[in-house]
Amino acid sequence: MDRLLEILRDVAPDADVENETGFIDSGILDSFSLINLVSQINETFGVELGLEQLVPGNFNSAAAMWNMISRLLEEE
Amino acid sequence: MNIISAYFVLFCAGLVVLYYAVPRKWQWPVLLAASLAFYCMGGVKAIAFVLAAAAAVFFAALGIDRLASLRPEEGADAGSRAAFKKSIKLRRRLVLTAALVFCVGMLAFFKLLVPRAGARFLSADSLIVPLGISYFSFMSVSYLCDVYYKKIKAEKNPLRLLLYICFFPHITQGPISVYGELSGELFREHAFSYDSFSNGCMRFIWGFFKKTVVANALAECTSVLFAEYRGYSGLSVILGVFVYSVQTYADFSGYMDIMCGLCQTLDIKLAENFRRPFFSKSVAEYWRRWHITLGAWFKNYVYYPIAVSGWAQKLGRKCKQLFGRSFAKNLPATVALVAVWFLTGLWHGTGAGYIVWGLLNGAVIIISLWAEPVYEKLRTRFKMKDGAFQTRAFRTARTFILISFLKVLPDVGGLKDGLGLWKRAFTGGMPSGLSGLLPFVSDKRAFAAAMAGVVLMLIVSLVQRRGSVRELMKQKLPFAARIVVFALLTLAVIYFGVPASIDAGGFMYAQF
Repeated sequence: MDRLLEILRDVAPDADVENETGFIDSGILDSFSLINLVSQINETFGVELGLEQLVPGNFNSAAAMWNMISRLLEEE
Repeated sequence: MNIISAYFVLFCAGLVVLYYAVPRKWQWPVLLAASLAFYCMGGVKAIAFVLAAAAAVFFAALGIDRLASLRPEEGADAGSRAAFKKSIKLRRRLVLTAALVFCVGMLAFFKLLVPRAGARFLSADSLIVPLGISYFSFMSVSYLCDVYYKKIKAEKNPLRLLLYICFFPHITQGPISVYGELSGELFREHAFSYDSFSNGCMRFIWGFFKKTVVANALAECTSVLFAEYRGYSGLSVILGVFVYSVQTYADFSGYMDIMCGLCQTLDIKLAENFRRPFFSKSVAEYWRRWHITLGAWFKNYVYYPIAVSGWAQKLGRKCKQLFGRSFAKNLPATVALVAVWFLTGLWHGTGAGYIVWGLLNGAVIIISLWAEPVYEKLRTRFKMKDGAFQTRAFRTARTFILISFLKVLPDVGGLKDGLGLWKRAFTGGMPSGLSGLLPFVSDKRAFAAAMAGVVLMLIVSLVQRRGSVRELMKQKLPFAARIVVFALLTLAVIYFGVPASIDAGGFMYAQF
């Protein structure tokens, strides 16, 4: 989780990354920063996020992102 | 059917009466019948093509959905289950690919091949480009992809899918609705509501006002400008470029107001396509506020699939090793943006002017993305605060100028003429006197009415920042005053709009 928070601080430096619950809904992550985030998550955790995962519910909070990553790691 | 006509108004009035007169479960079949009738009025032969396309999309989506519901046999071991899963994934992808090739193929056939090869190989009678093919192809692609990615279930009733594809308010110029959002609106039961009906009527007439009083009057000026710009002063050409920008907005958003207003009278919420785009502070923001549903379509069905694809991600990682992290971090997004803007240009037209226009828009957005650290330094150096009025005004004006000059490039008559007009704008000098400032204006009365309309549009846009103008009117104005506003708009359409529309063509975006 700490590594994910570190990535989020880099991608969205002005956000309260631990408590934010609307990264997508509030427009904190736009389509550019979202792709940057996806690239960093893929590289750091060795997963491959695809279009199936690219829904607001998976990216609105750090917890939702962590759940998604954990789910993908379990499936592998 | 010409939308700017008394026939269309009567068609809409008849539809509204019938829609609320039938039992509510028959409302969507009434919409389907009206849509098919509307489509047939544009050419009976083309309807067969739309029916065939809708049938193909319907069966492909059902196939994709059915494959997803298949399960391996009870008691199968882990290896068999994995093989089964892999086979299902492959078969679903095959069906999707075939259906997408069909949708994109028919669009490419009618938009790219028919205009070029058609004249040589086909007789004039057989050259029927189905009405709204760009829009229903894109909606079909979004429906198929959303079923594939399990965002929605495949529609089991072919007539419901047919209504989604050929719903007449969005078939000719969008919005490019997604099934998940529009189906809820189309297929629920609608009770008559005076508020929805009156708000819808007000927006309907506002759309007519924008199209006839503003856009059609300005179209007369810009057609003269495009033909005669070589003899005009630079300042006159620059003013003409801005006039063209306003004309396209009044034309396209006028159409949307007419259709959204009509849908509101039917208690149906259609996706919005504009959010005061000329208030944007960057080109990227402008494209999030202009033709919103087209931008969203390209984002969801081109940009994201490319940017998160294995090869784009790999390219980003490779370049990180070679050129460093700051270079690599925007690379997948940049590659996807180039594809999006090339295709956006191609979607608007097949001439070189449209491709260059698309790529230039993309270039401005990509440069802004990469140069953000430089902009940040410049803002600090010149003490420009993001929220300050001067900063916002500067960025808004800069965006309007950029967008206006880009917009005019393919529309003058080709890339060569577009570039010639740009050159004239910056080398043509000043007019000899005030009387020569707007040489492209022949009908001063219509132009003055159009300018008054532009001022009214600006005021409406400013008020809209606080909320819906019609809701504010309802709160602040008595019923009689609102009737007067409606009557004045109608009179303006009859008195100024009708004469300006006699020789005017249809809507600019209908050609796509």
